[in-house]
Amino acid sequence: MAVKESRSVTDAQARTPTNAWLMGAAAWAIPGAGHFLQGRWVRGLIVAAAICGMFIIGLIFGGHLFGLGGGSGEGASNLLQLPPTIANLGTGLLYLLCWASNTGFSDAAEYARRATFEYGNTFLLVAGLLNYLAMLDAFDIAAGRKP
Amino acid sequence: MTHFLVMMLFAMIVALIFGVVARDTSRERVLYGLKIFGEFMGIGLALAWLLYFLPL
Repeated sequence: MAVKESRSVTDAQARTPTNAWLMGAAAWAIPGAGHFLQGRWVRGLIVAAAICGMFIIGLIFGGHLFGLGGGSGEGASNLLQLPPTIANLGTGLLYLLCWASNTGFSDAAEYARRATFEYGNTFLLVAGLLNYLAMLDAFDIAAGRKP
Repeated sequence: MTHFLVMMLFAMIVALIFGVVARDTSRERVLYGLKIFGEFMGIGLALAWLLYFLPL
């Protein structure tokens, strides 16, 4: 009996991480999706609205999205672009859609001249970082570590 | 849009996400979100005044 209970607990613990990884992946790809899929509608809606809103505001402000492939930099210059690229990648499909349509990746000086350029950069970077946070939250909920 | 409004918008969104993910009950979330928002605004304004007097 005790062995059976212990096995069922172990099975449940083994099943949960797979689900949690899927929730984490969904939360990364579409902001708020990890919470929506777990029935946390209000939390998902707040996360989706805040992160998508922040990303769009960043683009409207003329912010720059970082990528490893573009630009004329070589070696260390490309390496310096790694941290902001990781931050930008946090917005999941939003970033990939912009990358596919070449939106926000321009290095043109007219963007850098705008008064809101740095604000735009900050909004885009922080939107990605906040989505990583929301992704971890969705993962923890699915893994049973959070209510 | 003024610098102050942009800072307020930024603080609001960050506080919203921090409040949503960081605590367990609704009351705790609201209080934590307000605390984060207040800290962003307070520290931002304090730094702005500090930099105002520096000859940069």
